[in-house]
Amino acid sequence: MNKLFFLLIAIGFSLSASAQRSISGQVLEKETNVPLLGVSILVKGSSKGTTSDFDGNYELNNLDENAVLVFSYLGYTTQEIVVGNQNTINVSLEINAQQMDEVVITALNIQRDKESLGYSISQVSAEEVNVARENNVMNSLSGKVSGLQITQSNTGVDGSSRVLLRGITTINGSNRPLVVVDGIPISNGGSGGSSWGGVDRGDALSDINPDDVASISVLKGAGAAAAYGSLGMNGVILITTKSGIRKKGVGISFNSTFTFTDIALTPDLQNEYGTGAFGDFAPMAGNGRPILDYPFSWSWGPKMEGQAYTDWLGRPGVYSPNPNGNPYKEFYNTGYSLSNSVSFDGVNENGSFRVSITDEDGQGIISNNTISKQTLNLRGSSKLTDKFSIDGKMTYITSKVKNRPELAEGSANTALQLSLMPRDIHLSDVKNNIVNPIGEEIKWNLDNTFNNPYWSNRYVQNLDEKDRFQGFISANWEISDHFNLTGKTGMDYTVYDYVSHGARGAQAISNGLGSYSHNSGKSNIWNSDILATYTTDIAAFKITTSLGASYRNEYSSYNNISGNDSKVPHFYQISNYKNSFSSEGISEKGIYSYYGLGQISYGGFLYFDVTLRNDNSSTLPKENNSYWYHSENMSFLFPKLLGINDNILSLGKIRGSYAKVGNDTSPYRTQAVYNVDQTVTLPYTVGSIPNSLPSFDLRPETSKSWEVGTELGFFDNRLQLDFTYYETETTDQIMAVPLSGSTAYSSKVINAGSIENKGYELQFNAIPFTSDNFEWNLGFNFTKSNSKVVALNEGLEGITLNTLWNVSVEARPGEEFGSLYGNDFLRDNFGRKLITNDGYAQRGDRVKLGNINPDWFGGITSNIRYKNLSLSTLISIQQGGEFYSYGRAYRMFFGTDKRSLHGRETGIIEEGINENTGFDNTTPANAMLKQFSDVFTNEIATDQILDASNVKLREVALTFDFPSSMLHNTFIQSASLSAIGRNLFFFYNAAGDIDPEASYSSGPAGTAFEHSSLPSTRSYGLNLKINF
Amino acid sequence: MKNIQTTIIKTAVVIVIGLSFFSCEKHLDDLRDNPNAVTQIDDAALFTKAVRSLFQGTTDQSVSRFAGQYAHYFVAGSTARPPDQYGDGFDENYNDMFTGMYGGTIRHIEEVLEITSAAETENEVRYAMAQVIAVLGYARLTDAFGDIPYTEGGKGKTEGILQPKYDTQEFIYQDMIKRLGASVNVLKDADPALGYPNSDPIFNNDLEKWTRFANSVRLRLAMRLRDADNSLSLQTVNECLANPLMEDNSHNATMIETEGNGNAWFGNRTGYPSIKMSTKLIDQLQGTDDPRLAVYVSKDQQGNYSGMINGLGDVAFGNSNFSAKSDMGIALSSRDSELYLMNAAEVWLLRAEAALVYDNDPVTANTLYRKGIETSLMQWDIENTDITTFLSSPTATLSGSNDEEQIGVQMWLALTPNFYESWSYIRRTGFPVIEERTDPKSSRGVTNGIMPKRFLYSSFELSSNNNNVTQAIERQGGNKISVPVWWDKN
Repeated sequence: MNKLFFLLIAIGFSLSASAQRSISGQVLEKETNVPLLGVSILVKGSSKGTTSDFDGNYELNNLDENAVLVFSYLGYTTQEIVVGNQNTINVSLEINAQQMDEVVITALNIQRDKESLGYSISQVSAEEVNVARENNVMNSLSGKVSGLQITQSNTGVDGSSRVLLRGITTINGSNRPLVVVDGIPISNGGSGGSSWGGVDRGDALSDINPDDVASISVLKGAGAAAAYGSLGMNGVILITTKSGIRKKGVGISFNSTFTFTDIALTPDLQNEYGTGAFGDFAPMAGNGRPILDYPFSWSWGPKMEGQAYTDWLGRPGVYSPNPNGNPYKEFYNTGYSLSNSVSFDGVNENGSFRVSITDEDGQGIISNNTISKQTLNLRGSSKLTDKFSIDGKMTYITSKVKNRPELAEGSANTALQLSLMPRDIHLSDVKNNIVNPIGEEIKWNLDNTFNNPYWSNRYVQNLDEKDRFQGFISANWEISDHFNLTGKTGMDYTVYDYVSHGARGAQAISNGLGSYSHNSGKSNIWNSDILATYTTDIAAFKITTSLGASYRNEYSSYNNISGNDSKVPHFYQISNYKNSFSSEGISEKGIYSYYGLGQISYGGFLYFDVTLRNDNSSTLPKENNSYWYHSENMSFLFPKLLGINDNILSLGKIRGSYAKVGNDTSPYRTQAVYNVDQTVTLPYTVGSIPNSLPSFDLRPETSKSWEVGTELGFFDNRLQLDFTYYETETTDQIMAVPLSGSTAYSSKVINAGSIENKGYELQFNAIPFTSDNFEWNLGFNFTKSNSKVVALNEGLEGITLNTLWNVSVEARPGEEFGSLYGNDFLRDNFGRKLITNDGYAQRGDRVKLGNINPDWFGGITSNIRYKNLSLSTLISIQQGGEFYSYGRAYRMFFGTDKRSLHGRETGIIEEGINENTGFDNTTPANAMLKQFSDVFTNEIATDQILDASNVKLREVALTFDFPSSMLHNTFIQSASLSAIGRNLFFFYNAAGDIDPEASYSSGPAGTAFEHSSLPSTRSYGLNLKINF
Repeated sequence: MKNIQTTIIKTAVVIVIGLSFFSCEKHLDDLRDNPNAVTQIDDAALFTKAVRSLFQGTTDQSVSRFAGQYAHYFVAGSTARPPDQYGDGFDENYNDMFTGMYGGTIRHIEEVLEITSAAETENEVRYAMAQVIAVLGYARLTDAFGDIPYTEGGKGKTEGILQPKYDTQEFIYQDMIKRLGASVNVLKDADPALGYPNSDPIFNNDLEKWTRFANSVRLRLAMRLRDADNSLSLQTVNECLANPLMEDNSHNATMIETEGNGNAWFGNRTGYPSIKMSTKLIDQLQGTDDPRLAVYVSKDQQGNYSGMINGLGDVAFGNSNFSAKSDMGIALSSRDSELYLMNAAEVWLLRAEAALVYDNDPVTANTLYRKGIETSLMQWDIENTDITTFLSSPTATLSGSNDEEQIGVQMWLALTPNFYESWSYIRRTGFPVIEERTDPKSSRGVTNGIMPKRFLYSSFELSSNNNNVTQAIERQGGNKISVPVWWDKN
């Protein structure tokens, strides 16, 4: 990281002084004597200067003997040297770890001194993402960056993650921050199943190879992101990948990680009562098997005490507790993940290159859920002339994920099947009785939803193949010392092919006929931009102005075919299905943008930035398709002005930022159209009108935000504090307002509603102890973010963002975004439950039962180094926030949950008062009927709204750096070995046996619901890095 | 010199920027067009959509979960069963049915009405046909929900009404009867070329049949007002009788679903949650040696007709051996079984009722009653000898003591599989008698064991159209399934 540089930072300075002396020399890194390219060499107090070339050489003419040369290079301590009578000045620059953190990459890939920025930015280094490596880079940021909330869903290998930066700002939008890789915005949608099932196809972020990441900058808030226009409205995550750097040795690096994944948390199941209802066994059918339908397929039978009975297969059996108390641990396996990465770096005087190849293989806890992914990355730059250089990158990613697990209520969700299977059923019997002689699935329940997990595993399969190409070419022309022109074009092109099929023989799969679907599609995002930059100094002012224009095109298309009723078994191609259907679609939008950036700095302590941008989007009506926005940022380093220059206050900065950002919408929402229905047999044409009404007068939505913050450093920056307060108000939101069904339409896209988002972020870093052999770094970050729905469309009580069973997550005016609404118990004015004469609680009003947003969240990082050994730890904390677990609700009325043991023999005396007498209820309710009527008949959600508060040991890495003495006389330049662990355990989990992150979707409201998720996993293993 | 250069450069820049702005705008315009759909379409394609939606509605959840169980034709298993227990915890279903009925038939027929009445595209014949479909769509809604948005309903696109006000069922019925009267008058002597040649899923543009159909629907609606607005009912019935009505099975408004998986009852018979035929239905058919038994009900695996008792409580249901009971008959539940909007048998039986109560003419009533039974038996291809035998049984003759009940029971059988309509008849006439549930093994639900009388307005409707729906609820006496709709005075 510290050796990282970019070719485009060098901007010449005009010469104006009179001729006296010429100086030349070489700039090297002090520890390694490696030449440094691009070091800035400035004549102090003037604008004169140059940069070092590929061999670290530089030359300056016409210098005064009294001139002082300032050698500065990002990540290194600046040196000042008086010219005097020297002709050659060779300089060795020392690495400065603390300063390193202060140079950051900002919008449009401009490197900036962090001190000069008027907004909050966090930078994460490569080591933080590629040691305790995660398949999805975003998960590595969890708990490390204030303001950034990452929720990794529990959806098998290569699942997606919910990413929020400074909370929710729009009701309908994805609310995900923009992800920019090497200056090119890439596609980045959420994914996941619905409450009815489906699989999580992963998100684009899992395609970013952690091993190629050089650094990640998190630009929070619109002020930081205004340069990206509406795309950056939710903040920007800038990922810079590695480019060729000069290294000691041959320039080959090797990084290998192997981890195991196993089950960390599963729901607590009872093991005392088996199949049946009302304490009885299920009645027998004519075929000698028990009738496995409601409610006798539940676990409300007699107590298992070794009685003789007829088991679910119709065999005489012994009715006794399951020898394996935890079916999850019996069914699932230990998964693994192996990744190997090799990279080659090279630099010569005309350019640099880096080539890397990464191979990843993994297997989830479901043994046929595997991933195989290869990433090839090629980065090169070349200086064609002194003034003209080009830089380019090509990344090719090919991935194959097999058998993404079905989620939630999906009929192939093995976790659902395991969680509800009556407790007397032995998994070994299930495994040995999958298909009967006539090819039908053998199962313990007639309901389509609940299947034999081994059948599902074997006969419901999918294959998700994706090829992705990302690349850019940029050219930089230094027209003069003041004037620089950069052009860049880049794309993110993805092709996917997703095949899923279910065999014949299970009612759940097309009524036993078998089904097949094959979805393929492609998407392409193409960005081209040009930026002209002019730099000049006027007295103590340094002024940089840039003008730019860009065009962005987003295209996607799909082609889906599906069929049912298979002709021959286990052959999965469309020709094998008697009925087939197909559909296709195209979506395209374009945005032209023009922008100007200006930056004025005065005296090195006052910085002022302005951005002005105009976007023209094809998604808005012609009259309204042009919209403007701007941002103003200021940074003020007060110690410099006040002349404070001591070690106690080593850094003092106050910053402020204001931004107004506009936003467009998705394509084709402004045109009234008719669909032509796909029909195969009909002699006439069937047309239809889409559900959603178009809007002919949409305007861009607007987000206004401001923030203030301060950065303070004490005792040589051993104590650092970064505090930000921000407010964002997003108005005129473009949203699909749900309409009363009686309009005949489900929604209309309009400008309505506003969300006010406020919060503060605190980052605190300390180095309590430091010496040559021992150092301890401690970090703490804290985020409190609150998104309040100020208004919706008039007359609209709320917008339902998502539902599970009878619980909805909603945006309602006056409330925080993401309220959970569901039925409560019927209560009197004092909140006491009103109980019937039979002893049962009743359904009351639909009320707010919780909110998905945490009160606050944060992380604690600790890094302790003793000699060559270092231990880094990350603990994440979330306080507050609720979610609804229908998984638990299900297990309660099916009687498999451990909590369902309560009152089985005695009945449950519901706390509350008799609705007729007003006295305390003393009538016991049958436990099974109580659970059934509460959860199923009355749809009361209150008891399954769980607190998401938790403290988790998210990451531990113990690293041993091989000392150079050990590597002496080998061809190895450096090496390190780490033992790593991720998501190891909860220190505290309010929801007990359910992981609050175990959602099935990574959408903005995805954390609202848990439904029979796969067991949460932890991973641990080794990471080896070697540089040759 | 330098100035000239600067000027040239400046001019070039302005021209380049100007041109690029122009071409950008053009390019954005091109991208604005949705490539996945068309901006204009013949209203015939929307008419077929609306008609097909009506037919599909006869097998959707409003029937498979609600009306079919309420009317005691069958008992559904698993998660589809709860409505049979007379509960009302079906907010999502109520909403889906409400929005589904509007979003299917109403959305498309309102557009057709708009197009066929607009100055440039006016077509009186098509408009008249569309009116019949619109009326059937709205009748379906109001019969289950009571007051609904009608004059402002379904006009989100055509008139931009996003929070439609509710009309009373009384007004809706008056207006529907008017609309059908106008349609009958137009269709009686209309030029078929102006109709929907090649785009009529029901009668293949046979306007004579359309006239009978429109007039028969009008008769159905008129009879439904018998207790609520007797004079309008009587007057309308007389008008209907003066015009052609459906008389034989070739006049039936039917369609065979050939797309997708065909008739949805096929999936219900072969899939899960399954449907088992009701004991009440089997008892009726068996007790009267009705040859339609083998049509409506399949034998169980033992070769018997075994029915499910409606409304069992959870314990009793669990012990009922549900999965072994009789399925729906093959003729009703094959992939290519016909779907019905209305049949001639219903019209004969309506006329029998009218003759009995309006003309006080039991003899004619009996003739019409027997005609209704005969037509129904013929509809299911019953052997002629069996028809003769059945017609000679006491069931097929009005006894003079409980004629209305006899007509009601035969209506119940003749309407099969138009279960939704049957639920309306039972509510209006009280026949066949759906006993109040008193057996402790039964579930009495929230209605105290009495057959539910309506669907509820959903919480979503209450949230998205609050003022209007709240007024409608207040005027009807509460959002409860025990509150009858306006025409239900029984």
